[in-house]
Amino acid sequence: MGTRVSNSLSVAPPHKKAPPWLWPLLWGVLLLVSVVAMPIAESLFRWIEPDARQVIYDRAELYVLLGRHLFVVGIAAVVTIIVGVAAGIAVTRRWGGDFLPLVAQLASLGQTFPPVAVLALAVPVLGFGTLPIIVALMLYGLLPIVRNTLAGLQGVEGEIKMAAHAMGMTPTQILRQVELPLAAPVILAGIRTSVTINIATAALGATVGASNLGDPIISGIVNGNMAYVLQGALTIALLALTVDSLFELLQRQLRSRISDS
Amino acid sequence: MIELSHVSKRFGDETAVDDISFRVPKGKFCALVGTSGCGKSTTLRMINRLIEHSEGDIILDGQAIDVYDPVKLRRRIGYVIQHTGLFPHWTVARNIGLVPRLLKWSAADVQSRVAELMHLLSLPVDEFAHKYPHQLSGGQAQRVGVARALAADPDILLMDEPFGALDPITREKLQDELAKLQSRLHKTVLFVTHDMDEALKLADHLVVMREGRIVQQGSPLGLLQNPVDPFVESLLGGLERGLKQASLTRVKDHMTSMGPTLPAQSRIPGTFSLRQALSMMLRDHSDRLTVVDQHDVPVGELSLRRIIKEAQLDNGNPRE
Amino acid sequence: MSLMDALPSPRLRWDGRHPNIVLVTLSLTMLAAFWLLDVVSMAPNRIVAGTGYGALDAFGWPGALLVTLLLSFIGILASQPSHRHYRALLAAVVVVMALMPVGLMASSYLLIDPEMSQARLGIGAAYWIVLFVLLLCLVELRLRLNLTRIWLTLLLLGVALVWWLCVAFGLERLALVQEFRARDQQFLSAVVQHIKLVGIAVSVSVVLGLALAMLMRRYARLQKSAFAVLNFLQTIPSLALFGLLLAPLAWLAANVPVLSQLGVSGIGTTPALIALIAYSLLPIVRNTYIALEEVSADTLEAAKGMGMRTGQRFWQVRLPLALPVLLEGVRITTVQAIGLTAVAALIGAGGLGTFIFQGLGQAAMDMVLLGALPILMLALVVDAGLGALAEALRPGGTR
Repeated sequence: MGTRVSNSLSVAPPHKKAPPWLWPLLWGVLLLVSVVAMPIAESLFRWIEPDARQVIYDRAELYVLLGRHLFVVGIAAVVTIIVGVAAGIAVTRRWGGDFLPLVAQLASLGQTFPPVAVLALAVPVLGFGTLPIIVALMLYGLLPIVRNTLAGLQGVEGEIKMAAHAMGMTPTQILRQVELPLAAPVILAGIRTSVTINIATAALGATVGASNLGDPIISGIVNGNMAYVLQGALTIALLALTVDSLFELLQRQLRSRISDS
Repeated sequence: MIELSHVSKRFGDETAVDDISFRVPKGKFCALVGTSGCGKSTTLRMINRLIEHSEGDIILDGQAIDVYDPVKLRRRIGYVIQHTGLFPHWTVARNIGLVPRLLKWSAADVQSRVAELMHLLSLPVDEFAHKYPHQLSGGQAQRVGVARALAADPDILLMDEPFGALDPITREKLQDELAKLQSRLHKTVLFVTHDMDEALKLADHLVVMREGRIVQQGSPLGLLQNPVDPFVESLLGGLERGLKQASLTRVKDHMTSMGPTLPAQSRIPGTFSLRQALSMMLRDHSDRLTVVDQHDVPVGELSLRRIIKEAQLDNGNPRE
Repeated sequence: MSLMDALPSPRLRWDGRHPNIVLVTLSLTMLAAFWLLDVVSMAPNRIVAGTGYGALDAFGWPGALLVTLLLSFIGILASQPSHRHYRALLAAVVVVMALMPVGLMASSYLLIDPEMSQARLGIGAAYWIVLFVLLLCLVELRLRLNLTRIWLTLLLLGVALVWWLCVAFGLERLALVQEFRARDQQFLSAVVQHIKLVGIAVSVSVVLGLALAMLMRRYARLQKSAFAVLNFLQTIPSLALFGLLLAPLAWLAANVPVLSQLGVSGIGTTPALIALIAYSLLPIVRNTYIALEEVSADTLEAAKGMGMRTGQRFWQVRLPLALPVLLEGVRITTVQAIGLTAVAALIGAGGLGTFIFQGLGQAAMDMVLLGALPILMLALVVDAGLGALAEALRPGGTR
């Protein structure tokens, strides 16, 4: 929606545009610098938290935490993309059509469930640690992907599908060569939403015993150490911005491949 | 050849097509005409099995269509629809080459066939091959649609109101081109339209449908001369019918041999229609025309009285 | 005759009487969950993890058989669907839902030794799954029977009433109930605090958002940068945003006495509210802006042509037509804020999130539920309520 708005109002004078890969690169470099070189800024953090014994979070290296964070979000993303897109495809086929109304309702209703609540409900069933987080992320991340897959596939004009049918394409060919490519930008937007939410939700996993980038924040809050909080918060924010700008780049390329030449 | 006998289609309790029979001989152009919702598009789609018919037989080239594999059947039949249904994410060239590629032609064959078709439909390859559908005008997109349908050189072409969304000038131009194309390619064409003028202009055979049934079928002239009921008559344009009939009749079929009197000033080629002759008479304030052949040599003459008499004769009215 | 007739459309399933495989599948899922997973758990006291019990232990032979029959009944009715069967199915689903707390009463009677005063009954995975699947059944049946929102609400209220009665009389062994009884005052004030935070955040951001959207319509240049900033804010994870606000606010509170007198401090409601408002602005501004932009140009042209003045056009044409989309923005924002407020408990803002994080800290799962379930309910109720309002305001009424 945002893009639609910004497209319609490009009245600003044409000035030289930054190359599209600039943002991901910038955020990515900042992220790397922040996980490797945080101790260099010790004096800065010392100034923020003059009374604390420690001002640099040292229970684990930030890059290790970043790795774990990415691992959890990555696993959840891979599973949700496979399952979500498959489910979206299944219920839009003739044989799965019976499930379409229910799944569509569920996918839109699912947006209502607060991620924290989902995470909290996963713990009594699955216990503490990384597993409940991955499961909660999968459950929660599934819905935006299913919803957007449905929207994308249903958004392909009937005339186009019928033409494909009438030209003698098999259902598989129609799906792979026509429907999925046309739905791809919408599906990708769903994946972007899902991953963005999951990066944030995974950080909360620190409260259920998973060790990731949420850790410095939580332990900083618990111990009243603002320096820890800042280190964790900065790194997570940079991670989210890096990933989001990567998706932006991907979406832009996908869009340009479909419409412009 | 396309042959339908006693074909019906029901959707639940609703009968969309009710016991229709007609045939389109090989190489002929048949138009299905009727108001929207009369079942003409449904009829068309039953032929390439986009919709399965409920009763009756549909026979293509002597074989009932139920025998064919639907996917293979569709690859053998060209299909053109109103809003083209071009794939927006593919270039013009890729769109046109779709069916040959489905049929696993070699890349070189596909490419040369695409070029051939683009040439045939006056789409310069250099200019259009790499454009995307949204960069085309309505008329250009529809040419691509026709090219795509013809790509694998099918014997049968189904067209569902292909020119319905175009402006009148473009529509007329494409109609002319289609007529020219058909005179070269001799496809078996079934053409759905709600525009009677279009049907009269293009078709060898007309099938008029209403509420799922066939009301009347026959040659364009036959229909104009004897509409079976007021519905067909109103479709044919009511008062305008006389002019439409005149536009289907050629001058040289009605001229008389040169009379003894001085030849008329106004000259008309024998291949023109009576309608054009009438128009010329009105323009030149003359009730007589001299008919000429292609070398502008007078071969006969045509008078207003003669045109009116012939019309009475054709319509079966008693002579004065 | 639209072209859609030619497509494989799911609507085809309405003709013919083939079994409703959705409900059959759901019924089988419930049966499997009921027999394969723990129905309830029992713990001798609050901290010790409970022992799980299956269907037979929890309900005894007669009870387990009754449940099996009821659940199979749903599957059997669904295999020959008709309007009458769908009505019967609706009744069956509602009855099973209403009976769920009764089942818990039965198992607390069967499993818990009255001598053990600390013993408590936990709700097992099977119970949650069956409840969830029953709700799915309701969604499906609602679509089949074209049930209006009001009907569904009444049915659910009826079920809720039965549950409440059971909780009030005879479910004192349920861990969730015990947890609630132990801190009912605290619970109530947490609910109030939660709603207060959400209310303040949403109303402030509605006012700010409307103003911003109006400004953006006037100054095109603002539009791009404002959306960029709001998108940026929304991208930053909530925990990080809360964290990033803590330090500067703590510093301000320490160094600017006026602010600390106003209640601003690093920890507590101030950073929570700032973050909540920052998050809420994007959906509000986006929907307002789009809503106002998308009122069809033809309609506005016509209004102009009829001689309406600029103000009249705005208040009588543009705004009423934009209102449903605008409300949609408020709905999204509120639901989102309910979830985010839970996270705000981490920085001491209070609210229902407190129970979640305290419970997690103490490994007291029932306390986690006491926080998470009301948040979920709150989100669902607000979602449904604002959704209904938006629908009612749509010109031409519902549907």
